[in-house]
Amino acid sequence: MLVKDFKKDFYDTLQRQRVLVLVAFDVDALCACKILQYLFHCDQVVYTVVPVDGLQSLEQAYLENAEGIRQVVLINCGATVDIVDLLQPEEHVRFYICDSHRPVDIHNFYNAVQVKLLMREDELSTIPSYDEVFRDDEEDSDQSDEENDDPESGYKKKRFDDESILRRQERRQWNEERVRILFDYTKFTSYGTSVAMVMFESAWKLSKDTNNLLWLAIVGVTDQYVHFKTPRDKYMEDVIALQSHVSRHNQRGSDGESLLSVNCLRISFEEELHLNLYRHWTLFDSICHSMPIACKLRLWTLKGQKRLHEFLAEMGLPIAQCKQQFSAMDITLRSEVKARMQEYMNKYGLENQDIVLPSFSMQFGYKNLLCATDYVLACAASLESLDSSKLQTDNFLLASDILQRSSPEKTDAALEGARAQLRSLVSQVQSSLDMHQIISAGPFLYVFVQEGTADSRFFSQPMSLIRLARFTLQAHCSVTRNKRAQSLPLVLGAPLSLEEGTCLIIGIPPLDTDDERKNFFGKAFEQAAQSTNMTVKCNGFDTFIIEMRIEDRSKFFDALISILQ
Amino acid sequence: MLAEKALDLVRELQRSLDGTLPPYNEDKIRQVLEEMQTLFDQNKDKAQFAAEGQTHLLSAIQLRHAAIRRNKRCLLAYLYNRLDQIKKMRWEYSSVLPSDVKYNMCEQEVQWFNQYNRLLANYMRTLGDNGGLDLTQDMKPPKALYVLVRCLVDHGEFETQDGTTILLKKNSQHYLMRAECENLIRQGILEHIVQ
Repeated sequence: MLVKDFKKDFYDTLQRQRVLVLVAFDVDALCACKILQYLFHCDQVVYTVVPVDGLQSLEQAYLENAEGIRQVVLINCGATVDIVDLLQPEEHVRFYICDSHRPVDIHNFYNAVQVKLLMREDELSTIPSYDEVFRDDEEDSDQSDEENDDPESGYKKKRFDDESILRRQERRQWNEERVRILFDYTKFTSYGTSVAMVMFESAWKLSKDTNNLLWLAIVGVTDQYVHFKTPRDKYMEDVIALQSHVSRHNQRGSDGESLLSVNCLRISFEEELHLNLYRHWTLFDSICHSMPIACKLRLWTLKGQKRLHEFLAEMGLPIAQCKQQFSAMDITLRSEVKARMQEYMNKYGLENQDIVLPSFSMQFGYKNLLCATDYVLACAASLESLDSSKLQTDNFLLASDILQRSSPEKTDAALEGARAQLRSLVSQVQSSLDMHQIISAGPFLYVFVQEGTADSRFFSQPMSLIRLARFTLQAHCSVTRNKRAQSLPLVLGAPLSLEEGTCLIIGIPPLDTDDERKNFFGKAFEQAAQSTNMTVKCNGFDTFIIEMRIEDRSKFFDALISILQ
Repeated sequence: MLAEKALDLVRELQRSLDGTLPPYNEDKIRQVLEEMQTLFDQNKDKAQFAAEGQTHLLSAIQLRHAAIRRNKRCLLAYLYNRLDQIKKMRWEYSSVLPSDVKYNMCEQEVQWFNQYNRLLANYMRTLGDNGGLDLTQDMKPPKALYVLVRCLVDHGEFETQDGTTILLKKNSQHYLMRAECENLIRQGILEHIVQ
């Protein structure tokens, strides 16, 4: 059931009881969790936070912590599965699901007692109506069957027979219709509003919003954009909503002087250069590692590098300056980079969209000017850190510390991690293109990350896998002569664990449907696995990423091709 | 020089870090006591002659006597300050002291500690309505009733005052009553996260 009144139906019922909060492993969920934690601290609600990275660990975490718990909050997990069926909870347990994954499972939506959904109502309009998917008259049909057995007069019996045949026929039709409706409903997976945003708006309604929470909401929304979960329109919509909050919280005096002290968080809205981590890198490297501009200029080729040099020269940025730390660049050049790029971009086929992204940046004290996209990359890098001496949950806590801004050293380390991720990502894209590994299988393109290469371990994590797949597809579309490439989806495989012989497969939709960001691979993978009777695991909460054994791969692909044709 | 060793003892105590207890220096204490004994014996001999009229000895006797008294003062200061430190530790670590602290105490100090313990426990039992009041908790008024803690090790289940059990698993985060988890924080099972 959808929660209509956040305060009455959700927040007030949680008071004075211990709450279990289960959080998925992504930046958005982490931000939402932080906001919720702050609210709980305000009202002294006792809680336990457990990070979960998949359905299995969700189940385990629930079992371990369920004792005496009556209220469970699920953040960015659980909406797409029938949660009551999965966890088999006792009757008094209530689940509050705040999840951006779509479609929402119909059982969750129509469970009026145990499951409450914290989502925007207008995003759930596609859900089938109750009568279409549930039927309350199942006992009736049983009864009529029984009546048939009664020794009644032949005429009557015949009439009953006719009636029951009719009824059965109608029932069959209804069933077929139901399957069709459900299939249409679950065909595409997509994402709704960021959960951090939902939480922030709730905090705002409770008059408990602060600048800090606002920054978390910004990071959550930006995370969705960086990981290609929401289309640009939706992102812009959220940014505009956030901007009004930003100006409300960061008021400046009449003479342009800041009223706030230097030592508190300041957020500002600006048209940010859409270059990854450029404030913490060299401008040159940053351009080479940013998807839109790198794909337009084909920077992985020699020709592309030449064009970039030309571009920089035309802008009047000396190469020596561009190849040193951005923070050490000449101050006049540094402040003009954006304007000059916008001035000369048209000649190089770049659009405003490729270079500029309306975004936010925050400053804390005199140091640490960070923009939202860099923050997301740093957090994601620390969530997916490859340090084998650490547990997954250690990474979660580390990322949580970074969001807390408790120590600049940790943030710097995370930024370094993000740079390493981007470097390996670009070199992987380059090697796939150079070696012509991207192959068209008819209805889709596919590519495998080579096993055993130094960088391949980076792509055993869902978030970097999503970014790699998207970068590869975009890069391929920019070089290929095949005109259909724009309309082809991409399936990418990456080795997960060499010892167990497993790999991850991800499917992303074609570029020409980019405005929707709807992914049909979840259903396609499921059907392909069914038709080949293979065991594929879908451990994460994104169904378009699956795990399977390497030797099953070719069989699986054959099935996938026949399904998509 | 006279009374040099006694001064060493006091210096040793002063050099030790705040909140630690240096080992009980039995050797040096014995040396100081021996020095006092010799001084005393010398004085006793000379005192007879002085009484017989050799007044020029009197100033030497006075000097030795002053040295004896200084030694005594230093010894007392040494012992008293150690006891003070032990007392502080009782309030900090509750009735069971860490083994390294215990190892540094002499037998009399252990006895004194036990007696002090008993006195304090008896006193605390008489306070409050039922079951007494633990005075050692919340020495300073806490800022918040609840604290955010992070679990550092797999500790297992933990029962809170209201009877619910919480699973303390590594890297889980909990928001708990301060009084309940204060001990676990001291033991290094939980880590207090400052917001």
